[in-house]
Amino acid sequence: MTPDKSPSADPAQEKPSHSPTQAASADPSAPGPTTSRRGFLKAGGALSMSSLMGTAALMTQSDDAAAATEWAEHFQKNYRLMTDAEKAEARTRLERRYSSEYGKKVTVDTTGPQPGVLMGYALNIRKCIGCRRCVHACVEENNQSRGTRPGEKIEWIQVLRMERGEFAKDKMNQGYPEGLGIQVGGNAYTPAGQVLEGQYRYEPEAVPEKDATYMPIACMQCEKPPCVKVCPVRTTYREADGPVVIDYNWCIGCRMCMGACPYWARRINLTTPVLPKEEMNPVTHYLGNRPRMRGVVEKCHWCLQRSRQGRYPACVEVCPVGARKFGNLLDPESEVSKILERKNVFRLKAELNTFPKFFYFYD
Amino acid sequence: MNKLAFHTMILAFCCGMMAPALAQEQKAAAAAPAPAPAAETVCFESRKGASEVTKRDLQPGWPNVKCSPKTGAVLWWGDPFDGTVPMGKMPLLDKIPEGHAVIKPRTEKLALMPMCGVSCHNGIGPKFSPPTLPKGRKPAPVPTMEAMVPDLKDLQHGRGRIWCLDCHHTTKRNMLVDHFGDPVSFDQPQLLCGKCHGDKLRDWRDGIHGKRIGEWASTGKKRWFTCTECHNPHNVQDGARNRGFVQIAPEAPPQLPRGMKDAKYERVHGIAH
Repeated sequence: MTPDKSPSADPAQEKPSHSPTQAASADPSAPGPTTSRRGFLKAGGALSMSSLMGTAALMTQSDDAAAATEWAEHFQKNYRLMTDAEKAEARTRLERRYSSEYGKKVTVDTTGPQPGVLMGYALNIRKCIGCRRCVHACVEENNQSRGTRPGEKIEWIQVLRMERGEFAKDKMNQGYPEGLGIQVGGNAYTPAGQVLEGQYRYEPEAVPEKDATYMPIACMQCEKPPCVKVCPVRTTYREADGPVVIDYNWCIGCRMCMGACPYWARRINLTTPVLPKEEMNPVTHYLGNRPRMRGVVEKCHWCLQRSRQGRYPACVEVCPVGARKFGNLLDPESEVSKILERKNVFRLKAELNTFPKFFYFYD
Repeated sequence: MNKLAFHTMILAFCCGMMAPALAQEQKAAAAAPAPAPAAETVCFESRKGASEVTKRDLQPGWPNVKCSPKTGAVLWWGDPFDGTVPMGKMPLLDKIPEGHAVIKPRTEKLALMPMCGVSCHNGIGPKFSPPTLPKGRKPAPVPTMEAMVPDLKDLQHGRGRIWCLDCHHTTKRNMLVDHFGDPVSFDQPQLLCGKCHGDKLRDWRDGIHGKRIGEWASTGKKRWFTCTECHNPHNVQDGARNRGFVQIAPEAPPQLPRGMKDAKYERVHGIAH
């Protein structure tokens, strides 16, 4: 029953996935992995489980950090079901793998939710000047793919530019039905409110522009997240302190969650992520910004690697106008609680009953 | 003999010419390794001209800041408390533990400030008891001051309702002034700005207005950005500006999807959701 008895039963020879060029490779020109968890297990199904486990046991003791990690990852449980010992083991082997892959000391945090904390986020919609520093800070912090070819650039935050409508006096009575004097503020032919649905790719010389307002959108970390509801493998779930997270190892890339999310907050790694070694952020969290592989969905998680350690998310720190606020909703002294108490607050698409913990407010 | 003297002279002349050249070469050789790390990157924190950071490595592969290649703005802080000092006493901030509210001192960044109090305003100043205040409260034309603050004579802060000495101390020109005539440090501009903008001061104190970096817990250590790090008090009502902040260059837009040649397409056709 030892694996070396049957050479064909050794998947290490069949699968190129054990080569050092893994998913989330630092080298963009390197070929991506050709196996997925599903494919791997399907192939493995032909073999006896014990021989696989025996091979796995051998491989985990191998010197190649990436190969050992790959093996262990294929057989690990969903993160939610892992014991503390299994989490520690996963953390150690990932740290080893990423450190050798990116040439610097990488830490993988596994800090869980703290009691008495429910994270909340608030954004002052009147302050936002559309400078998009939050978008780029998020990319720097969270190790998103930053290639130049189509689909290789991933940004979790979108800043929507909206044209200011005109509520001119002479248009105020131009409503439907025409001639009845019912004021609806413009009609289908000359809209008086928003005249554009919005632009994500605006590029003026300077912001804020006089005739525009800006609306940043990212994951709303819903209390009743539709993405969690539809996930067939339960890889995405809501943590006890608020954020909705993804166990990247269990994601099968079916994109059901992307279809279910009403806020266009999720992105998929269609290609192997491009993450240069020198730009990789070595402080990571297992459920947060650790390098992703090809074919998994990712999204904003309020910088778990920072917020679980007490620090503001990167987008909050970088906003030059201080429009973004973050805090504990259960703490009446926190910034978000003060905003909810004192300011005019609304949530995006509240009618969908997703109950976002992301609040827009204005003075 | 003459010939020998001539040759000696020529030799001496040549040596004389050579010496500085050699010295220069030596200098160059000595200086060559030095400029290598001198390629320093300076990026601004909130707005250009307010506060700047020099990029360096806290640890190998762990910079103190990451700067935007496009605009030069700070996009990420490795250590949010780098170069900060305790904010000091602030009314109604007693519940914040000692040293948990920190600021970055601006006085050392203001290049002209050490000169203000000595070179032109030596602490005597004109007689500013109320009867001799200039009528119309227009600053006297002083070319050097106008070079520093171009709109000096037509300062639009408060739509033209205030002038220099409403904010700057009469005799201590390297200080600001509060309502009681007491000097206020340039590091604590909120004590001055809150004189008129009380609602904003309250929001700033509670963390609703303005920017903070550091720890998010209400009792955590935070770096507070003071008023003048984001707002230019001399330029608060710039006509081209919108929403209380100077115009800045935006960062790069997201990648265009396949089939979309430029952003104008989006403008014409809208987004298909």
